[in-house]
Amino acid sequence: MKETVWVIVPVLIPVIMGIFLLFMKPSKSRKTLLWITAAGLFVTAGLVGYVLSLGDAGYTLFYLTDTLPVFFRVDSVSRLFVSVVTFIWICSGLYAFEYMKHEENNKRYFGFYLLVYGILVGLDFSGNLVTFYMFYELMTLLSMPLVLHNRSHEAVMAGLKYLFYSFFGAYMVLFGIYFIYHYANTMSFTAGGVFDAAVLAENRSLLLAAAFLMLIGFGVKAGMFPLHAWLPTAHPVAPAPASAALSGIIVKGGVLGIVRVVFYIFGADFLKGTWVQTVWMTLALLTVFMGSMLAFLEKGFKKRLAYSTVSQISYILFGLSVLQPVAVTGALLHVVFHAIIKCTLFLCAGAVIYQTGKTKVEELSGIGKQMPVTIWCYTFVSLALIGIPPTSGFVSKWYLATGALQSGTGIFTWLGPVVLLLSALLTAGYLLPVTVKGFLPGNDFDYVSLQKREANGWMLMPILLLTICAVALGMFPNSLAEFFAAFVPQLM
Amino acid sequence: MAFVQNFPFFSIVLSMFAGTVSSVLPQKPAKYLNTAVICIVGTMSAVLLGFTLQTGESFTYMMGHFPAPWGNEIRAGVLEAAMALFFCIIMLLSLLGGRKKLLGEVEITKHNLYYILINLLLSSLLALIYTNDLFTAYVFVEINTISACGLIMIRENGRTIEAAVRYMIMSLLGSGLLLIGICMLYDLTGHLLMSNIREAVAQIVAEGTYSMPLLVTIALISVGLAIKSALFPFHSWLPDAYGYSTVSSAAILSSLVSKGYVFLLIKIFYRVIGFSIIRESKIIDVLFLFGLAGIIFGSLSAIKENDIRRMIAFSSVAQIGYIYMGIGLGTDVGMIASVFHIIAHAATKSLLFVAAIGLTDVSGGSRKFIDLTGAAYRNKVAGVAFTVGSLSMVGVPVFAGFISKFLFANAAVYNSGKMLPALVVLSISTILNAIYFMKTVIRIYTPAKTDYPCITWKQEKLYAVTMVLFMILNIILGMGSQPIVDLIQQGLSTFA
Amino acid sequence: MGANLFANYGEAVAVILFGIGFSNLLLQKNLIKKIIGLNIMDTAVYLFLAEKGYIEGRMAPIVVDGIQSVDAYINPIPSGLVLTGIVVSVSVTALMLSLTIRLYRRYHTLDLDEISTQLKKEGR
Repeated sequence: MKETVWVIVPVLIPVIMGIFLLFMKPSKSRKTLLWITAAGLFVTAGLVGYVLSLGDAGYTLFYLTDTLPVFFRVDSVSRLFVSVVTFIWICSGLYAFEYMKHEENNKRYFGFYLLVYGILVGLDFSGNLVTFYMFYELMTLLSMPLVLHNRSHEAVMAGLKYLFYSFFGAYMVLFGIYFIYHYANTMSFTAGGVFDAAVLAENRSLLLAAAFLMLIGFGVKAGMFPLHAWLPTAHPVAPAPASAALSGIIVKGGVLGIVRVVFYIFGADFLKGTWVQTVWMTLALLTVFMGSMLAFLEKGFKKRLAYSTVSQISYILFGLSVLQPVAVTGALLHVVFHAIIKCTLFLCAGAVIYQTGKTKVEELSGIGKQMPVTIWCYTFVSLALIGIPPTSGFVSKWYLATGALQSGTGIFTWLGPVVLLLSALLTAGYLLPVTVKGFLPGNDFDYVSLQKREANGWMLMPILLLTICAVALGMFPNSLAEFFAAFVPQLM
Repeated sequence: MAFVQNFPFFSIVLSMFAGTVSSVLPQKPAKYLNTAVICIVGTMSAVLLGFTLQTGESFTYMMGHFPAPWGNEIRAGVLEAAMALFFCIIMLLSLLGGRKKLLGEVEITKHNLYYILINLLLSSLLALIYTNDLFTAYVFVEINTISACGLIMIRENGRTIEAAVRYMIMSLLGSGLLLIGICMLYDLTGHLLMSNIREAVAQIVAEGTYSMPLLVTIALISVGLAIKSALFPFHSWLPDAYGYSTVSSAAILSSLVSKGYVFLLIKIFYRVIGFSIIRESKIIDVLFLFGLAGIIFGSLSAIKENDIRRMIAFSSVAQIGYIYMGIGLGTDVGMIASVFHIIAHAATKSLLFVAAIGLTDVSGGSRKFIDLTGAAYRNKVAGVAFTVGSLSMVGVPVFAGFISKFLFANAAVYNSGKMLPALVVLSISTILNAIYFMKTVIRIYTPAKTDYPCITWKQEKLYAVTMVLFMILNIILGMGSQPIVDLIQQGLSTFA
Repeated sequence: MGANLFANYGEAVAVILFGIGFSNLLLQKNLIKKIIGLNIMDTAVYLFLAEKGYIEGRMAPIVVDGIQSVDAYINPIPSGLVLTGIVVSVSVTALMLSLTIRLYRRYHTLDLDEISTQLKKEGR
């Protein structure tokens, strides 16, 4: 490992720029604001790229206590997550340049947007559990202003709900950290786990309970049943680009936490075949089905997408819970694909709201005639999310299903794929009506008063870019698959 | 004997002398004298800390050169010096932060009275920290009570006088128990100096006689000091006393006065009875249970509260509960956590009190949450400071509160019997803390259309500087905790 | 046990008195009665100390006609403690009484609960 201070630069730069934006004089024009935001996004992206090119780099910032360093390290999982974060953050940020015109307080939005970006990079680069926890808490706190941006009563309540669920989860995690600190040799993430085999054997039931608590705790952020209720409340009330970022990225913070805890702290072998794994798989499958079902029943456009997030993130969690290399590869692929797809879906929903002000699914008939490009993009990524070949969602789901079938986890070997398939049908059921109604509104539709209301370039460009990625990654998944093949087997 | 070894005695006498002199001084010179005394005592404590760190040992100082069983003694080690230094810093910052408010709330003719009380309080706190003699400790406990009572009621209205009376009654109950406990201990051992009692107690325990009276004595002293430091369920006086007195008083009372008693209790546990004997007695379990109950009850009451000052006061009940929980764990690690929490909580709670007053001042003096809406925009420094204090209380890493929570949890894991209740209560209370502190933070950052005036830092330079210093102190405690923990460990080991 | 108690009847009485004073201070509603309780409590402690310091047939350690052997005198420290204690208790009592006067002038009652209800009515 190379000690280099460059690792923390991409964490600090957006944080500093974000704080600068927040304290900037309100009299400065919106143009300046956007230039600074754009500069922040791209400079950080460049720095992230540079750090990733350094290879195995790390940096110890300072010591909280003798045994608790604040420590950063770039490993394969960091690379994966930070790339996704950077890509989504830039797309959604550029989209917001236009979208936020109709919201107030742009300065605060972009300030916190940059701040959260820095925190997320820090979260991905964290080299041990305490550093991770620190950024995890900061992520919750700083992303909250994005949720309650418009300050309506509903938004504030949703923000509080988000905050308390997250804190509740975070303290379950902290509870587990206390045990790990006591029993483990180190808190630094090490592939395969940090515990001595003897310690594990001796305190098996206690540590299993700790692992379970941490799973549930991080599961809160990832919207896992039974603590998922905040997600459908909090995500839709945010401005669309923030919803996209929240649903695409912030929930992945919980996924990253679970990956770190399961594969880098406890080790997959420890959990394999235990009650924790069984409960985890059950909860994940339950959430997959329940999320799809609720999305199917939901009338609000953005809320439907939020329920869809609940369901899709649990695909990832299920893939991880199988503790089998192919399924884990599938889960990590789905991290990438779901981030891109869900971001696109929310941006499309945002574009519709921005142009027409319609928020209910049933009001959207004929929308395809008004905003054809947006709705075509929406259709493509919907197909990807359902998992129709050759789009990206198909690849990740294929891996997930094969992994489950090879896993030898008793009833879950066949129950898993069945639930995934069922949920895919439901996904089609809740996403495609918008397309169908949008392009084929029926005979009684008033074609005369119809006018083109396509969103402008700033909003369309990110949507198009993301759509192309969502489809193309499914057609050419080889480089990604190679990247995973290089490190996933080491985790087991 | 090095000259530095006189410093504990000097600092006690200096502050007491300053108190006496202030009675004939007008308001302004009394103020400056008080500030100067705190600074001098702080400097002396810092020098003493350096000295004790260098020698690595503690020393006893004979008052009037009478040798051990007859004379009165002062004892100073690393921990005592560090505590004295820290108490001086907090006291100075609290006074500076509340200075402007003091002018508004207390009649100008009473100001020198205020500084007399502060000086006396300082001297009694120092004496509680340094003394090696139990009866001296009792006398200074009473001086501490009287001056604290004065600090509560100096802002004269019905609430504060009532709170002062309630405070006095509770305190007198506590000190009565403490006094009879000390007398019984004297009866059992024939000594008043801590080190001598310790030897005698060890002998009694070795012989196996008088085990019941010893237990009763320990119980009386522990309960007495627990009452005085407002451990649940003896906290009824606390919300009014902290909630309605002038802000410097509230900050000093919550962060220093109650902590002085806890420190004395820890000292008695280690230096008088011996920690191994305490551990075997059931007293410690009782303290543990009441600590846990206090944490839950304090947090729940704080959630229900609709008044920001009283909310912070109830949070103090919970925090005192933490300290007793740490003591109740009955391990050295737990004790280190408790002492660290004494420091961390003192730094955070005084910060919160002073920040809260900045917020209420820009909300027309009202302390109801509904009026505080958007207060952080009207007084930016106070808003940021309150947020920092809240985050520290909630236990977000980088701030002081996280480290003490972490130390508590770590200590709890070492005690297999009490691990589960301690950890469960710790997590529950953290969530409860998050609920009421984050609620407040969101409230003060919610924009509102009011016509209250805005205050920029240029208008209140002193206040702003104090707040910044408070925040720096908090972050230093959160990021550089290891030297402090080491220091506490070293100090406690020389205690035994 | 019983014999022990009888031999040390002074201490036993002191502890009983302490209990009486303590419960008065804690439970009485009337402020003056509370203060009386406080004084009973403190006096009980002094009785306890005096009882401890007193040894039958010995004198106070005041040199009158030449220094005698140690066996001739009682231990002076408890007496010293009693004196200190009296000073403390007098000052505390004075403070309590002055506070009581303040409260009485404001609310015309000595009942602490009554004062609390009046305060709630004031709504401050």
